[in-house]
Amino acid sequence: MSARGSVVLKGSRNNGVTIVIRDDADFNDVIAELRAKLGQARRFMGGAPLHLDTGTRPVTTEEFLALNKVAQEFGLIILENEGVRSMPAKSAEDPGVTSAHQFAGSRSGSYDAARQGGTKEEESNTLLHKRTLRSGQRIDYDGNVVVLGDVNPGAVINCTGDILVFGTLRGVAHAGAQGNAKAVVVAFRLEPTQLRIAQYISRAPDGETAAPTGPEMALVKDDQIQIEVYAC
Amino acid sequence: MPGRVLVITSGKGGVGKTTTTANLGTGLAIAGQKVCLVDADIGLRNLDVVMGLENRIVYDLVEVVEGNCKLRNALIKHKRNDNLFLLPAAQTREKDAVSPEQMKGLCEQLAAEFDFVLVDSPAGIEHGFRNAIAGADEAIIVTTPEVSAVRDADRIIGMLEAHELFSPKLIINRLRPEMVKRGDMMDVQDVIEILAIDLLGVVPDDQAVIVATNRGEPVVFDEKSLSAAAYRNIVGRILGEDIPQMDFEPESMLEKLRRLVPLRFSRRKAN
Repeated sequence: MSARGSVVLKGSRNNGVTIVIRDDADFNDVIAELRAKLGQARRFMGGAPLHLDTGTRPVTTEEFLALNKVAQEFGLIILENEGVRSMPAKSAEDPGVTSAHQFAGSRSGSYDAARQGGTKEEESNTLLHKRTLRSGQRIDYDGNVVVLGDVNPGAVINCTGDILVFGTLRGVAHAGAQGNAKAVVVAFRLEPTQLRIAQYISRAPDGETAAPTGPEMALVKDDQIQIEVYAC
Repeated sequence: MPGRVLVITSGKGGVGKTTTTANLGTGLAIAGQKVCLVDADIGLRNLDVVMGLENRIVYDLVEVVEGNCKLRNALIKHKRNDNLFLLPAAQTREKDAVSPEQMKGLCEQLAAEFDFVLVDSPAGIEHGFRNAIAGADEAIIVTTPEVSAVRDADRIIGMLEAHELFSPKLIINRLRPEMVKRGDMMDVQDVIEILAIDLLGVVPDDQAVIVATNRGEPVVFDEKSLSAAAYRNIVGRILGEDIPQMDFEPESMLEKLRRLVPLRFSRRKAN
């Protein structure tokens, strides 16, 4: 893959410069291109605050430090408050949930534990995606995924935990991808192309079907995926 | 004997490659051929939607070439025709996830099992196009009667020759006889004169195509529509039948087609 297009610098009047990293870019390309772009832009950067937007791509602490090292070569520092943060550096009660995508270590899956009658759950993270997931975009995540927006046809969410969509789920959702059949998919309007939970797969019936009128939850019951009206 | 691998390509986008692939594939399957449609438009897949099979996709082409699943498991059987299969593209990947060599191997594998393998090419002349043509024995060029589409088709014919795919066949899509009559649209002869390749068929502009596409059922299932008749004629020609070109003489087009269509498709009652 060519290095070009892995990194885009976006400037804004109020907010300094945001480094946008393409989701599937090779990290070495990212570093090389960031260095080249910062070099070219050296003159007008002039100490502007730098932010990082990595889309759905998880960024490890090492990667973040490596990016910051490049920035420091040009006398710049990447601020931590925008975009993605390195993995469970922050705890769940940290109010920094204002960023576009935030990885936060939730407290030992208290939500899971409550739902499953207090059974022991492994520590699970939750990814908050604060925009509509469009065709061709996908989220792969080890943990739960919450989308504040729609999931359009052609978009895919694949995660090991639960999926919650605060909008209409029209794409493909795979919850419990590592075999957790207790995972659920909840959506404000559940109209998926296809639903998968653990090893179970179901698809929408052919032809027109009545649109749901309220929040629904899909879960595995009697060895198949069933959809229920969601009641808290 | 291995089956025939045909790539459907155009250069320009939006001229109807995917619709053509869907209809020719379905038409061939109706004619009793075992057909596999391959969507080579990785990242912008459409063929599954046009075929109404989107919700059946579990594995895709990229996962097959990466060895994550067996080819057999990725093939989706059409809901109405047991001869018709689809190998869907990946939507969340990019064109360079597959190499021309891999596509070639894939097409060989498919040709061993199917009578026809139709590869739907992406628009453009870059990596995706080279993937699409890599495994093909024959090419079908789709164009509309517009200067820009014909120009791109010409470019594509040159590129196909460079890849040793000679004598492609031409389909002129979305012809509007009344516009040709007024002199507002290139006619069939104008297009052939520029491209100088064999004409496989002309498909008239037809609203039924849009209705069918949105419904996920190729229009060729529709016995009554004009475009379906055109697609069925093209299918016949691909199978080696000698079918005269439809006559699009503007002044008498409707009468002629009313006369021609029931003759060719005798399922309709004669008047």
